[in-house]
Amino acid sequence: MNTLVFERNLARFAAARVVSSFGSGRGAGVSPLRLVDGEAPELPGEGWHRVQPILSGICGSDLSTLDGRSSRYFEALVSFPFVPGHEIVGCVQDNATSASGEPIPAEGRVVIEPVLSCRARRISPLCPACAEGLTGDCERVAFGHIRPGLQTGFCADTGGGWSAAGLVAHESQLYAVPDELTDQDAVTVEPLACALHAALAAGLRETDVVAVIGAGTLGLLTVAAISYLGSTGRAAVPEALLVGARYAHQRKWAEELGATLALDSTQLARAVRRRRHTMAVGSESVDRLSGGADVVFDCVGSADSIEQALAMVRARGRVVLVGMPGAIRVDLAPLWHREVTLLGAYAYGTERVADARVRTFDLAIELAGALHTGRLVSATYPLDRFEEAVGHAGAAGRRGSVKVAFDLTQSTKGRPR
Amino acid sequence: MSRRAGPRAGIEKPSFLWTQPTWPGGVSRPGPERRVGLEYDHDWSRRYPVRLVRAVLVDNVTRPLTRAVAPATVRGLDRLRHLEGPVIFAANHASHIDTALLLTTLPTRFRHRSVVAAASDTFFDRTWKAALWSLTLAAIPIDRTRVNRRSADTAAGLLEEGWNLVIFPEGGRTADGWAQPFRGGAAYLSERTGHPIVPVYLHGTRRVLPKRDENPGAASGVENEGRRFRRSPVAVLFGDPMTARDGEDARRFGVRVEQAITLLGDEVATDWWRARRRAAGDDPPTLRGPAVSSWRRTWALGPSPADDRPVAHGRWPR
Amino acid sequence: MSPRPGFVLEVDGSTPPTLFWNGEGYVLEKLPEGTRVVYAPEPHKALEDPVTAIRHALEHPLGDSPPLSALLFSGMRLTICFDDVSLPLPPMQSPDVRQLVIEAVLDAAAAAGVDDVVLVAALALHRRMTEPELRHALGDRIYEAFAPGGLLTQHDAEDPDNLIHLGVTDRGEDVELNKRAATSDLLVYVNITLVTMDGGHKSVATGLASYRSLRHHHNPQTMTHSKSFMDAPASELHSSNWRMGQLIKDSGVKVFQIETTLNTDTFPSQFAFLQKREWEWSLRDRSTFAASSAALARTPNRLARQIFHNIKAPHAMTSVQAGEVEAVHARSTANVWAQQGVAVEGQSDVLTMGLPYICPYNVNSIMNPILVACLGLGYFFNLYRGKPLVREGGVLILRHPTPPAFHPGHHPSYIDFYEQVLSQTTDPMEMSKHFEESFATDPWYIHLYRTGHAYHGVHPFYMWYWCAHALEHLGRVIVVGGDPKAVRRLGFAPASTLNDALEMATDVVGPSPSITHLHAPPILMADVQ
Repeated sequence: MNTLVFERNLARFAAARVVSSFGSGRGAGVSPLRLVDGEAPELPGEGWHRVQPILSGICGSDLSTLDGRSSRYFEALVSFPFVPGHEIVGCVQDNATSASGEPIPAEGRVVIEPVLSCRARRISPLCPACAEGLTGDCERVAFGHIRPGLQTGFCADTGGGWSAAGLVAHESQLYAVPDELTDQDAVTVEPLACALHAALAAGLRETDVVAVIGAGTLGLLTVAAISYLGSTGRAAVPEALLVGARYAHQRKWAEELGATLALDSTQLARAVRRRRHTMAVGSESVDRLSGGADVVFDCVGSADSIEQALAMVRARGRVVLVGMPGAIRVDLAPLWHREVTLLGAYAYGTERVADARVRTFDLAIELAGALHTGRLVSATYPLDRFEEAVGHAGAAGRRGSVKVAFDLTQSTKGRPR
Repeated sequence: MSRRAGPRAGIEKPSFLWTQPTWPGGVSRPGPERRVGLEYDHDWSRRYPVRLVRAVLVDNVTRPLTRAVAPATVRGLDRLRHLEGPVIFAANHASHIDTALLLTTLPTRFRHRSVVAAASDTFFDRTWKAALWSLTLAAIPIDRTRVNRRSADTAAGLLEEGWNLVIFPEGGRTADGWAQPFRGGAAYLSERTGHPIVPVYLHGTRRVLPKRDENPGAASGVENEGRRFRRSPVAVLFGDPMTARDGEDARRFGVRVEQAITLLGDEVATDWWRARRRAAGDDPPTLRGPAVSSWRRTWALGPSPADDRPVAHGRWPR
Repeated sequence: MSPRPGFVLEVDGSTPPTLFWNGEGYVLEKLPEGTRVVYAPEPHKALEDPVTAIRHALEHPLGDSPPLSALLFSGMRLTICFDDVSLPLPPMQSPDVRQLVIEAVLDAAAAAGVDDVVLVAALALHRRMTEPELRHALGDRIYEAFAPGGLLTQHDAEDPDNLIHLGVTDRGEDVELNKRAATSDLLVYVNITLVTMDGGHKSVATGLASYRSLRHHHNPQTMTHSKSFMDAPASELHSSNWRMGQLIKDSGVKVFQIETTLNTDTFPSQFAFLQKREWEWSLRDRSTFAASSAALARTPNRLARQIFHNIKAPHAMTSVQAGEVEAVHARSTANVWAQQGVAVEGQSDVLTMGLPYICPYNVNSIMNPILVACLGLGYFFNLYRGKPLVREGGVLILRHPTPPAFHPGHHPSYIDFYEQVLSQTTDPMEMSKHFEESFATDPWYIHLYRTGHAYHGVHPFYMWYWCAHALEHLGRVIVVGGDPKAVRRLGFAPASTLNDALEMATDVVGPSPSITHLHAPPILMADVQ
């Protein structure tokens, strides 16, 4: 069965890094990613189930891994060789139980919450974070009875979504997919959960001017999350939700998903300035504001975007890092001078919404059904055209696309569906 | 920077060999060593080798450069024909170029044996500036606001030693084109030493390099921009040497010097005879301008020096 | 040979192609047979001796005003206000008429012993002029006498200490003016009446006013009722200004108005072909056209812009009149009509025009898309008396590259207007309701207006209101050769060629439409019967 495997291969890693400097995703062919005829991994033990993936998305973090640009911080938190793919909708192969304890019949559709937390690792007692339900913050992702791996898709023992052979998932990771969700909707549940987590972490107020930098999948879903939480009364509707996007189709999507105004990313600081009537520091260009947005979501995660965020946030404002940053060089003088809070927002877990505790994934499944975020899936590829797929994902914005995913049912040697 | 840490740190050569040594905390520091402003010691600038260097510079650098931006018509040198040794050249002051212009138009016998009285606060406020102006112009520091005993003594001493003195009695450049009140220094020195004053009128130097507004456009909200140097012809007029009359005090002598320079100014505008007649008439011309509001003073100067720039004809491409 | 009057040509088979301005360049277009082309009258003869004419006008005023010398006395406060960089277009060759007039006024003031004189550039909400611009308009002599002492000022509509509220007209319009000017013993206004819209009470009531005062006539309602604002009796803009002017007069502000008119000699001799009729182009004209358009096609935009903005027009003064505002303005307007008026018979379905590189708000700057709209739909469309050259529901076809380029220092609020307002609405009423206030009071725009060289925050709105009458009147606006994104942002339709545009127009006005082409600049005023 077709399976994409990411191996530890320094030469290929270096080659990918060089090639990808000509454009993200171009280095897939020379990267440590290889298409092999693989088998599904062994079930690691009780509570684990086989899942046959249907769609599996290509995420920004996958791209930076393939480009050889992800932070070395993660080296100790992954185990090689791994099968990438953590945005997964699939069919569970036998009768299973979901994370919330409900039964899922065999062949039922599930989405996988990829974090491999204490429960999946059979660690007892649970770490303090897991005990609180904050699985994204689990302290034990490199320990326990399976090999290190912060998520499915980065762990050698679980397999990942980019495999027609299937993967294994612990019942703490399984969420049943309601019938009204299409496969496309379901494959956006994982990034949507990230976006909801970030939106809730920011603690928005009604008087806030909110800026979102970047309108790729995460940026758009963050916009969707903020406006959905507001419209359903679970969080405040901010005074303005401004989105900076590089491409026209992204601006269209952003406005459709609830942005007050979506404009070219070079114009975002100007729009924030005008909303807040602050001054721009400097003579003619508007790249530093004297005041600014109350909350800035950085959905890019580059040095430029973080500096841009710091330049347009007000004193004592918050910058939420939604996109994954790496080892970058950022001038933190504005952070210090204006007492800005820089907030990381990774993954998901349990949220406190309107005094109730709810799993982020449950919220995400609800949102995906309500807004049909599957519309953002622009293209699907079979595994054996992975170079094209990764190249497309790396140039998604330029090519007028948002989310690119692998269709595991189309695989030439895969199981017909 | 020297490397402080590392295994070899202890045996490295002490870095103070090529940087200034730091002063130990327990040792009290003497006062400032280098004296600037009025205190500046400029004796070195009149030693023979320095004079030689200066003569070469003045004749081969300063003179051609000055001529390049300010081609000068020199008149009245005949009045200096029979004049011997040390004299005081007193001129009106409109531009930084005045000093170089006057110095380079002096006859050779004065040129290389002249010192220039320069404001201690602008030209001698840093050691390097003091050294530069002492070397190139044989400048000596004087107090621009009052007659300072020390600088007066120095200047008188130099005159006695046979040096000529170039001085601008206005004490600074004009801001609006009209002369400022003359100060008494030159007349005092002449009276004290008995050496004559040669009045000099410098015409048109404000066009070449005017004094810039200290706080440009702050009031009018207009930025000052544009080039500073503008090549423009100038004129230098020497007058008859003057000494104080019997019983004439320095103040009244100073007034006479000012009148003489005014007369020279009028001579540039008209001719010698008309200038003389007007000076003797009821309404003698003035260098100081009318006592009216600032715009009318400037208005009374007539067309602006900048007005003679070529008129744009929209030639394409220009 | 006396100058020939304006002319309406009917294009036939032997008509050579017609010149269209196209931003920083020009093209020849073959217009369909039967198209009417409206040509401007030839430049009138200039006054032989402008300086003497000015002095004569000052001493022989019109209306009930005494001569200038009788109004000047020692110890008085005199304020001389003058039109800013937006006039004339293109900027005229030195000496500028403002220099000549103000020198004459100052000579009289100096003779009368007036010490307290201040000059005020009547900017309204325009950008402040730079030193070279002031030197060009006033001459070095005036600049050097007044600028160093801070006596050469530029009107600051946001300076609370230098504004005075004179009252409210019977229609509830606030009149708030430059305090120095309004509290002087005499306010001398030096104007250039380039088009009939300029001058009269608009000089003081608009040029020296604040936003609080301007918003009463610079708004979509007024502009849709100004048909056209070039024709004062039919212009609500002018009615409002006249009411304010009356109030200014009644509150005791003594205004001595000096108006000048210029001929239509717009381009220097190298570019003479730009103001000639194509069938009269000499070999030299034809080769200059060919060489310059080939060269311009290869010139980077920036350089081309620089070349064009360096053009100084050989405009010459055709008349100068001074005295009481309304009497003076009546004479000026008559003179402008005599120079620029062209009689045109009836309207057409389609109006075409080529837009040049310059409009009143981008002198030494960049013509951004909003200014393109303003020049086409505001200025050129309104160059009529009676009725517009194009029928109601007709189509306007413009030619301009419309690059989405902005001068960040001069037009900061335009950038935000383009990105944040035009992307939401192109309806003048809508934007006036939802956005204007927020732009007008934005402290950053105010800061840049007061300390930099930026147009006021509300200015792009005014540009759009200027188009209000045309937007309401027209069925469609097509921009030939414009950047498609920018053109669509303006709410217009892009077309790649004139023929495409004419095809597109038939969707709105039906097949074989009647077409009129406005052959401007040089500026002309169509008297449509």
